[in-house]
Amino acid sequence: MNAEFTCRDGGALAGYLYGEADAAERAVIEAHLAACAACAAELAALGAARSALAAWTPPQTDLGFQIVSARDADTPAVQGASILRPARWWHRPLPAWAQAAAALLIFAAGGALGMRAGDVRTVSQPARPAAATQAPTAAASVSADDLAALEQRLRREIADMRPTTAAAQPVNASATDEQLVQRFRTMLAQSEERQQRELALRLTDLVRDFDSQRRVDLALIERTFGQMEGVTGPELRQQREAINYLIRTASQRPQQ
Amino acid sequence: MTWTDEELVTRSMGGDVDSFNQLILRWERPIYALAYRVIGREEDARDVVQETFLRAFRALPGFKGQAKFSSWLYRIALNLCRDWIRRQRRAPVMQAPEGVELVDLASERGPVESIEDLVCRRELSEVVADAMKLLPEEQRTAIILKEYHGMTFQEIADLQGCPLSTVKTRLYQGLSVLRRHLEKNAKTAPELVKRV
Repeated sequence: MNAEFTCRDGGALAGYLYGEADAAERAVIEAHLAACAACAAELAALGAARSALAAWTPPQTDLGFQIVSARDADTPAVQGASILRPARWWHRPLPAWAQAAAALLIFAAGGALGMRAGDVRTVSQPARPAAATQAPTAAASVSADDLAALEQRLRREIADMRPTTAAAQPVNASATDEQLVQRFRTMLAQSEERQQRELALRLTDLVRDFDSQRRVDLALIERTFGQMEGVTGPELRQQREAINYLIRTASQRPQQ
Repeated sequence: MTWTDEELVTRSMGGDVDSFNQLILRWERPIYALAYRVIGREEDARDVVQETFLRAFRALPGFKGQAKFSSWLYRIALNLCRDWIRRQRRAPVMQAPEGVELVDLASERGPVESIEDLVCRRELSEVVADAMKLLPEEQRTAIILKEYHGMTFQEIADLQGCPLSTVKTRLYQGLSVLRRHLEKNAKTAPELVKRV
């Protein structure tokens, strides 16, 4: 070992700090430290840093790994060996390409769902407002007789449909799958049509009730205005007569 | 009866799986501590431990006993840590260690340590962990092997495949960075060190 020491020789200071300098080197370094405050301070600071390192402890964790199986008893069964795997072994971060692929897949699935939801809206929207929006617009111009006629017609159509639907319920066990599917589709279509008609009927009822209430309200308002006119009319006449009397009286006084 | 590592290795090579399990039991904690300090992630450190022993078991027939079994294990573990760091190159080299519970610290130090001391120790632990992130992998590994695993300069040089003088330089430079970081970022570091 080199028994010479150059001031600020980091490697030699590390050897001295960790007690791995031989006796000759240690003696040289100690002599230098006694004379060189900078190296002494450096060594003290490095010692403090080492002390701080002691505070850094790994977290406690359960390990307990074991080799749990072997296929060959004569030699270490390398291929058959396995180690009990922790629960989170699979939790290793995916490679970048796998993450990108997963993101792409999720994006594509989301896009497909979004498109499908859009399609559903596009398809269902015209069917739903057909009865809901047309009824109010028609209500603005139809009379009570028209509404009553419409209600009667709807009730009649619904009543006509019920026996047909009931007759379609029994299922022929010998029918083929295609016939069954066809029958099911027919029943489904009839059910939808009936529901639409019932919805239209409900809306017609609603419009009629609204119209009746509107007429009642208008009558009440007219009556209230008539009462107000009946009260205020005589008062106005009395006031006008009083004014005329005063004017007449005032015009007669200078002549006396 | 307590077997030495070499005896357990010999028995393991003869097909005694239980002997290898004893080696695992003996060395899994030091390997875990090494992996945790090098890569800074608890779960990944566990993975490193598992893979280290799995590879050791598979390579057992090729182990000729030129080095100590523990050195051999350390070499496998360090190679795995290096692989992990390479994989994480795009991410921070060393992420903040996951939180250490005060209860765990208390159990390590015993019931005489006050809560205040525990908090100081935890703060200092975080400061040290942050400082270790700043070090190049070679310096960090050299310090860990020296400080926490008590290896000699020569053993570190053998593991790292570098001259002994390089190990000294790495230790000195690493400690200097740590010292500067502690002085700069931890106002209470000297107090913390005294408490510890």
